[in-house]
Amino acid sequence: MLETFTPAVCGSRKRQIVAQALFTVAAVAAAAALGLALGLAGNALGAERAVLVAAALALLAAAREAGLLRLPLPQARRQVPEHWRSELPLPVWSTGYGAGLGAGFFTFHPVSTFWIACAGALALASPVTAALCFSLYGAGRALMLVWPRGRAADPTAAVERLTGKRGALLRANALALLACGVLLALAPAAGGAVRVAQNAYDPSFHAGTLAFATQSGDVVVRAPGVPQIVYPNASQPALSGQYLAYVDGAGIRVVRWADGTEVGRVANTTASRPALEWPKVAFVRRDAGAKRIVVRHVIKGGHKIHVSVSAGVDLGRPSLRSGRLAWHTATRRESRVMVKPLTSNAARIVARSKIALVSNPSLHLSRIVWTEARSGVSYLRLGWVVPRPARALERMRSRTRAYWTTTLGSGRAFSTRWTLASGAAAIYRTTF
Amino acid sequence: MPPREQALDRSAERLASKLAESTTRKSFLGRVGAAALAVAGGSAVAAAVKPDDADAFHFCGHIWTTGSCPSPLPPLARIDRKGFPLHPSSGRPIDNLGRIVDSAGYALNGNGNRLRGPDGAVLPPALRTRVCEDWTREQKGLRDLATQGAWFRCCGGRIRKLVDCCSFSRRRINGDASLTGYCWGGRRVYCVMYYDTGLPC
Repeated sequence: MLETFTPAVCGSRKRQIVAQALFTVAAVAAAAALGLALGLAGNALGAERAVLVAAALALLAAAREAGLLRLPLPQARRQVPEHWRSELPLPVWSTGYGAGLGAGFFTFHPVSTFWIACAGALALASPVTAALCFSLYGAGRALMLVWPRGRAADPTAAVERLTGKRGALLRANALALLACGVLLALAPAAGGAVRVAQNAYDPSFHAGTLAFATQSGDVVVRAPGVPQIVYPNASQPALSGQYLAYVDGAGIRVVRWADGTEVGRVANTTASRPALEWPKVAFVRRDAGAKRIVVRHVIKGGHKIHVSVSAGVDLGRPSLRSGRLAWHTATRRESRVMVKPLTSNAARIVARSKIALVSNPSLHLSRIVWTEARSGVSYLRLGWVVPRPARALERMRSRTRAYWTTTLGSGRAFSTRWTLASGAAAIYRTTF
Repeated sequence: MPPREQALDRSAERLASKLAESTTRKSFLGRVGAAALAVAGGSAVAAAVKPDDADAFHFCGHIWTTGSCPSPLPPLARIDRKGFPLHPSSGRPIDNLGRIVDSAGYALNGNGNRLRGPDGAVLPPALRTRVCEDWTREQKGLRDLATQGAWFRCCGGRIRKLVDCCSFSRRRINGDASLTGYCWGGRRVYCVMYYDTGLPC
């Protein structure tokens, strides 16, 4: 390629510069387009499924480059079409050469790094970022056209000196791939989401114990050091210490989850969506023409209505922690996440929107997490029960997947992610 | 009167009725009034919407440079008569999350059935708010937005109503200076939307 872009082949020094410029633009554009396409594909697949695969490939590639493994690479052992230079105008062949080499798939790769970069772009699942990263690959291709010429009167001598350093370059490449593999593998633990339960939703977390509903119709309780406990024909779990509340056919049942001893019941089939902070349980009750959030003392039996909305309003699963109640309301005009202390009627709006669906809050001490759904993107937001700025814990760019319910613990948030088409759901843990 | 002109007159009357009903009642064309259209007759409408598929800036009929308003499915802001979002290609109503919805506001899946959550229950109707007064207001932080001016073009054989979302802001959504367009009362065009009437032209 270096000996193609010479004044003699191009026709003059000026034409050589034009050809190099066109080659560069085409190489960068083609590489960026490849990155964009890979990022889009990764987005469609769901990044968390690809990250660990990319990590594994990077580690394999590192072993290959270090000479520990023999692995063939997908290759197109072809040269650029030589006849283009004689048959096509200079702007066309120089652009074509640039696009072909910038795209990467149509040329020989002595090392596996390009393919690992492709896997990384899929895992990144961010089209623009991947496009920017890959444009550097195209720029690198173009640089090899220009750099040797600036280094020596005979550019081929410069290239030969570079190839003499091949061993060092391969070792550096292997180390870089190893580092990539380790970083990708650690990414979920470094703050990315980790899936903790498949075919599950409605998580509830308290003091190290996680409870959730399964899509087969059970409630599962997982505590450290003990086998998981299953409550069949149950849904909508809520944990508080050793107690578990859930919905069954007769209303809401409250048990000691370790042995199943019933300690209380809300015998009302219109009661659902419990939240538990022992000895109080909050739940949504459907009355005639209204929906209400009621907080009841499980032992003493007294109750109080804290929220009342009309029947057409979506009143979400409440969260009850540290003497506060959080919930969401949504109509066709606005959605809100609200929080109030149990001892007061003063409710505060934590989030509201006329274009986004803010919903499914969960409380822990002075923190609150909720989901925010917009067109094509959803967020898991972390904020405070007092007026302070909130931030996005996670962002999910997708029209086919969305967040559902959440629960919050110390330094970790659990969220349900589900696929709209199939209804399949899973619970993920995010540390912060 | 030749049949073609009779058809144009009927179209003009229907168009006049729709103008009177639409939210841009006080628009420039609305002020001219259905009476003016009735006097001028169908030939006036035909002249105004001569099928020349106007040079489009970023969609058919839009010959100026103001960008589209924010919407659930950008970059185009297709709306219904009341300013609520529609799917740009199918024209079906969509909610704020970009999902096709039925007449009661329930999101539909690809089979046309109401979408169900992971618990198997039908999802409640989601938000569906107006592109100018709600979307643009919240996304751009402008509190004085109002749907005002409109003009008509022939696009794809159907009359398209291009609608201005107007604000007192001197900057438009593009980031540069805004134009008066068909806004009035001191407002200027902040962003644009469009409504396909379905009337032939």
